[in-house]
Parts: sequence; structure tokens; C-alpha cells
Amino acid sequence: MDWQTLIDEPAVIAAAVLALGIVVGYLVGRLNEELLTASGVPETVEGTPFERTAQSIGTSTVGIVARLSSWFIYGIAVLTAIHIAQLLDTDAFWLRVTEFIPQVFIAVLVLIIGFIVADKAELVVGEYLRGVKLPEVSVLPKLVKYTVLYVTLIIALGQIGVHVVALLILLTVYALGLVFVGSLAFKDFLVSSAAGIYLLLNQPYGIGDRIRIGEQTGIVQEVDLFVTKIEDESEEYIVPNRKVFEDGIVRIRE
Amino acid sequence: MDGLDDVFGDLYANVDAVVLFSPSGSYYERFTDIEDLDLIVIGTENAVGAETFVELPLAFDDIRERIKFGLEGALEQDLIDGGDELLCATNTFSDSIDTLSRVRADAEAHTGIYDLFVKSRAEPEVVKAVLELAIELGKKGQKGKPVGALFVVGDAGKVMNKSRPLSYNPFEKSHVHVGDPIVNVMLKEFSRLDGAFVISDAGKIVSAYRYLEPSAEGVDIPKGLGARHMAGGAITRDTNAITIVLSESDGLVRAFKAGELILEVDPEAY
Repeated sequence: MDWQTLIDEPAVIAAAVLALGIVVGYLVGRLNEELLTASGVPETVEGTPFERTAQSIGTSTVGIVARLSSWFIYGIAVLTAIHIAQLLDTDAFWLRVTEFIPQVFIAVLVLIIGFIVADKAELVVGEYLRGVKLPEVSVLPKLVKYTVLYVTLIIALGQIGVHVVALLILLTVYALGLVFVGSLAFKDFLVSSAAGIYLLLNQPYGIGDRIRIGEQTGIVQEVDLFVTKIEDESEEYIVPNRKVFEDGIVRIRE
Repeated sequence: MDGLDDVFGDLYANVDAVVLFSPSGSYYERFTDIEDLDLIVIGTENAVGAETFVELPLAFDDIRERIKFGLEGALEQDLIDGGDELLCATNTFSDSIDTLSRVRADAEAHTGIYDLFVKSRAEPEVVKAVLELAIELGKKGQKGKPVGALFVVGDAGKVMNKSRPLSYNPFEKSHVHVGDPIVNVMLKEFSRLDGAFVISDAGKIVSAYRYLEPSAEGVDIPKGLGARHMAGGAITRDTNAITIVLSESDGLVRAFKAGELILEVDPEAY
């Protein structure tokens, strides 16, 4: 029983691999945590429901992601150790597992990121729409959230090899519908804002100029992205900027 | 201590409404539990989500100004009527409410301060931002020296037609709005320029270096104020703009609307 035979013993190598795996896994976990913290992830995810849930079970988003990378390496170490020790003689199983594990890992990661992005998007959209005091508007942030979650789910499922063609078709129909309805509903706004950008950049007329757009004549009071406000003696016209391009501008000089 | 209720009870006996100035959330909650009580909240923002709320454009330091302005706003919104007896709860020495005063609402003493913000052409936030800027400018001056400044706010199209440029307009083809911190620094630097700043309804700075050319007849401003105030007062008679003037000589900030002096504040008091 000398060193040579000891080292050749598969069980010993397996144990060594296991120990190495645990150390590396722990270190990678810590490194991940440090990196994520340094790159400002905790501030970004602050206030999202996912983070709050994580907090309530005594951890944090960063903690979970870091733990996940650790467990990923532990898992590899354990499997390698089993393989070396030849506890199970399962070459086919081994092959499948090596392919499958990274995919599961990525799928879980995608899910976590998806949840956070969805929550964050909901918060941001909700905050943005807070000024609009309409109860119906509160549907929008939810819509954004579930859209993001849906896409995440498709990616995650695709990652672990589930057939997602049907879900993808559904997503395409949904996205097309959104684009179609959106462009229809906001057509005038888009055209006006495109014209507005030109007006703001080039300023063919400025505040105080006397102009005529179509049938409205007056002094320019305000130019913003969507509308131009012109005013004559007693009436103020709010003209959409697309009209400026359709009808042209007449600058009136006495 | 029971005796105190008899003495001070007069203070709040038979009041028509209770007016809370910037109450804290818990303080406000205690009042909402009382039945049959007309409650009005006045403050710079509606932090407690009160139903009847009057906004103050400035956190007036002087308690009399604060109550006067708040009640004028309440009168304007028909929340109270002239002659109503009101119990005003506000803070004088600490940050929380520590002062009670019984005030009779006076519909006659209409100064138009509230109109200046709420019923002007320009948006209230813009008026507020310009007023704050003028006050800050008055407090610090430009590089320590007292400066004067004249801001014409709102109805910019007409104002531009009633004025002419003294020099090249530094704000030509720019898209800066009052209220941005960097813009305030910019305006402070530009305040040494002669002439008026013209600001649009939405707060866009249209021009600096404007020489105002209103007809000054019939403008009633206190004697002793200089050309800047006269020009500032007169332009508000010819247009629907308001002007906010920082005096170089006495350091006061004054606001004019419709040719009349409406507000006079000392920057040092804020």
C-alpha cells in the first residue's frame, strides 16, 4: 500500500475531483457575487418583486445567481467523480447528462433574468404612466411584464429542448398584431413627430414668427414634437406637425 | 390641564373648516376620522392624498404669507367663502404642525397671487421655476455681486413681436427649458446681459437680450422703481404674459400681471 497504488485508486481520484469541484464552485460563486455587485446589479433589481421574494427567503438576486453557478460546478464535479469512481457504468447516460446540464443551467439563468427584466419593465412602464390617472392604463405595465415573461419562457423551453414552434407562432401573431395595431393607432403621432423633429432641428419658423399653415394664420406661440401652437387675435390653433408638411408653411412678412 | 380647554376652546369653537398646512400622513389621518369636519390641506405638494387640496407655489417661510396665499387659493377654488371662520394649523418653529391660528377668510383682500400661478398662460411649474430662479439669483447674486434680471413668462409669440433684439440671441436654435439645473446655471451667467429673458408657456427659453417695447401708458407701479420694472410691468398690460423682476437696487423679487404689481418677496427670507 504505497502512494502510487493509492493515487491509482479510482475512488481517491474521484474524491480529489469532488474536493476540487467544491473549492472551485465556491470560489466561482464568490467571484460571481463580487462581479455582479460591482457592476451595480443590486441597485438595478431593487424593488422588483423577484428581488423582494428573494429577500423574504433570506437571500438576494445576486445571491441566487451566484449560488446557481456554484451548484452548476458542484454538479459537474459530482458527476465527474461518479464517472471516475465508476460507481455507475452508464456511458450513454453520461453523454446525455453532459449535454443536458449546461442547457438546464442556461435555462434557469434565462428564467431568472427574464423574471427580473419583466418586473423591472413593469415598474418602469408603471412609473412612466403614473401621470396618466386612468385606471385602464394600469393594464399596460402588466401587458409588458407578461410579454417579457412569455418570451423568456420560450427561450428557456427552447434551451432544454422542448418543442416551442406552436408558442413561437403565437408570439409572432401577437407581435404582428401589436405592430399593426400600434402603427395604425399611432400613425398620426409618428408622422407628426417625424415632422416635429425636422421643425425642431431646422426651425423654419420660431416663436414670434407670423405664419400660415393651411387656413390658420397667426403668431407662433410654441413648437413641440407633435404640435405647433399658433395664435391670432383671439383664437389659438393647435396644429399637428404633419399638417405643416401636408399644407406647407407660409411665412408672413409685412 | 382641563382648564386650558375652556380658555383655548374659543380658538376652535364654531369654525367652518380646518386648514392643515403641509401635514404629515399620520397627522392627517387623525383628522379624517373626525366626522362633520371640513378639511382643507394646503402645501407645496399633496403628500397625503387629500381630496381638497390647494397647492402652494413656494414654501413660504413667513407664516402670514403662507396663510394668506393658501386661503386665497382656497377662495379661488370655491372651497371656502368670504367670511368663513377658519382654524389654520401650521408650523412655525419645528417641521411638524405646532401653531394654531383662527383666521377669517377675506374675499375682498384679493391680490391675485394665486392667479399669478394658476391662471396665467404659462404652466404653473414654469412660473414656479422662474420665480425660484429669480429668488436664488437674488440670494446669491452673480459671483457675489447683486444683479438685476427680467423674465417675461408666457405668451412668448406676442412678446417677441413687442420687443426687439439688443444683440445676438444666445438661445437661438436651442431647446432649453427652465427648471433644468444646468439651465439655471446658464441663466445665472447670462443674467449680466442687458434686456429681458423671454420664456414660452411651456418653459422654453426663447430669447435673451430682448428690449421690450410696450406702451407704458396707464401702468400703475410704485414710484421709485426703475426702467426694468416699468418695462416689465408694461409688457404684461400689452400681452398675456407675466413678468418676474429681480431688482438690482433693493434685491427684491417682484411679479407683475396685467400691468399690476402682484407679488413682492424678499429672497433673503427663503
